[in-house]
Amino acid sequence: MRGTLWIVLGLFPLVDGHPTLKTNQNSLETADAALNHQSGSLNSVLHLDDTEKAALEPTRVDPAFPMKELNTSHYPATRAARVAQHYLNYHHGSPSKWFMVHDIKKASSEDIPEVGTKYHVQFSVQEQATKEIVGNCTAEILFRQTEEQSAPEVNCTCDDLLKIETSDADHALYHHIKHQPEPMTGMDIPDSQGNIPKEMEPFWYLGGIGASFIMWQQSNESTLYNMVHVHSVKQLNSENDLLAFDYVVLLHDMVSQEIIHWHMQVAWNPTQGVKVTQCHLLPKGTMKQPSAEKHKI
Amino acid sequence: MPLLFRDQVLRIKAENAEQISILQSLETQEHLQLDFWLHPANPELPVDIRVPFSNVQAVKVLLESNNIQYSVLIDDVQAVLDEEQQELEVNQGRERLTKSFNFAAYHKLETIYEWMDTLVAQYPNLVSKINIGSTYEGRPMYVLKFSTGGNNRPAIWIDTGIHSREWVTQATGVWTANKIATEYGSDSSITTLLNSMDVFLLILANPDGYAFTHSNNRMWRKTRSKTSGSCIGVDPNRNWDAGFSGPGASNYACSDSYHGPFAESEVEVKNIVNFIKQHGQIKSFISVHSYSQLLMVPYGYTCNKPADYQELENVGKSAASALKSLYGTSYQVGNICDIIYPASGGSIDWSYNYGIKYSFAFELRDTGRYGFILPANQIIPTAQETWLALMHIMQYVQAHPY
Repeated sequence: MRGTLWIVLGLFPLVDGHPTLKTNQNSLETADAALNHQSGSLNSVLHLDDTEKAALEPTRVDPAFPMKELNTSHYPATRAARVAQHYLNYHHGSPSKWFMVHDIKKASSEDIPEVGTKYHVQFSVQEQATKEIVGNCTAEILFRQTEEQSAPEVNCTCDDLLKIETSDADHALYHHIKHQPEPMTGMDIPDSQGNIPKEMEPFWYLGGIGASFIMWQQSNESTLYNMVHVHSVKQLNSENDLLAFDYVVLLHDMVSQEIIHWHMQVAWNPTQGVKVTQCHLLPKGTMKQPSAEKHKI
Repeated sequence: MPLLFRDQVLRIKAENAEQISILQSLETQEHLQLDFWLHPANPELPVDIRVPFSNVQAVKVLLESNNIQYSVLIDDVQAVLDEEQQELEVNQGRERLTKSFNFAAYHKLETIYEWMDTLVAQYPNLVSKINIGSTYEGRPMYVLKFSTGGNNRPAIWIDTGIHSREWVTQATGVWTANKIATEYGSDSSITTLLNSMDVFLLILANPDGYAFTHSNNRMWRKTRSKTSGSCIGVDPNRNWDAGFSGPGASNYACSDSYHGPFAESEVEVKNIVNFIKQHGQIKSFISVHSYSQLLMVPYGYTCNKPADYQELENVGKSAASALKSLYGTSYQVGNICDIIYPASGGSIDWSYNYGIKYSFAFELRDTGRYGFILPANQIIPTAQETWLALMHIMQYVQAHPY
């Protein structure tokens, strides 16, 4: 039997002496389980041989793999940083916390023969609710050269990420939802005028965080994803202490300009964070498209 | 019965002092109810009197029997007043419409077209509307022309909304048209610009697509042309004759970046090309898109830099600086191919290769939080900051004739 080594990247603190992201054992297990449930091409579970393991180690200068400095305005850096953003959101986002890349400070890439291209990006992010800027994030993003789509492998740390404190807001929201008589539903977030009712905002964020998982998984060097619309959200029954929601979200890929519909189920509670428990791509034409006149909340 | 129905206004030319005193005594005849608009003073000046209908005959007989010359200035005062009132109401209506037009909202196609007419009616000496041709579905494509005269002056071209889902661009076009029209004469940079240049603004470059985003699919990008097969529409910004069917464009009809069966297959593109060629004096060509906050210069169909790259990049960087000065919004500047992606068949590649040196493409707010569905309360801030960049470019173009 071939031994398999399962590594889920980025859930372990980077070993460099800086205080970094805390992860707890529960979160690792749930994430592991969630990732195992993924359908189709969602593949972030790795079988590594020695060359590959070497490629993923923290960067050492190796003349065999020269580093190329990248222009921070140009698309290779933009796309790599976006992947790091999706990764960061999935692992640290919540209905009260959603990050967007603010400024790319430095970027470089190295081609690793027979493996792929690894990007190194330094950037700042802005949290959308608090508007706070987290100045110093570093990420390594490896895009493997595979025939089929495979999720980029990401190591990402930010100094001071924990200064964005949303625990109270998250707990308040959790209890609020738990105590509603009816399961919540929503459609068309935002509406055509770009409006989002205040009470829908957390569900928009939650959709964005869940979508970040999909966007991370679906990214490669030729994509640049954003979530542009929550078509629908519906609270599901959940037996445990996780809240569960059924979403249909619209993703926009800037490179192909396509709008892609994904159906996903998202589980959340304030301590365990956000997990995508199921997702699948909806074929084009399945969903009635959002339009200006219909589906007002 | 309206008060002044068939009242007349008589203009009297008194010849001497005696006739003046006759007219002065008329003023004392209260039963005649004469309303002197110009009082009798001396024979040099006319005397205008509004005479109630019932007394018109009597007054005329009196004047004639004294050999006093007169003419009928207005033969029905009420009719004149009615017409005036009507005009006043129409103007007030237009003013209300232009003043009450909500620039901080997204509007349907018909509303924008109506508003364009009110703008032209309110500023007829500055703004005119040109139909540059019909769309695939038969809608007119209207360009607003801003001009203070001259004969085919060198001009700036701006288009918004070529990708119909990019709603903040059409809304910015509307705001910009209003800005130019209302502030010509008071804003010195607009006034100086229009002293020697014209501005052409195509607010709805893809009307069919825009209508479709309202009726059916908010995310529609392309035209609505039917080629072969079941998929509709061509990406109008891959359809220009510049590196056509090269990188970054799809030959699959169902794709959102489908380049179309051949260059300029889309009548919307052809209409613009024809207009630009016919005009012959366009000195700057600016296409406005959203989203991503970018200000780009040619080329998209190749990553090779155009000959004027350095100058264009410099102008772009200063324009982006001006934009940023208002609300802190950051734009990246560079050539399309490096900044965003290789993309062939784009409008500013065509315009640049046609000889219009100052060719720029904007991608407006935001960077992805809202994307295409930008909140309406960001329309005006977006238009205001974009205006600073546009103005910078236009002033530069004016200062660098070629």
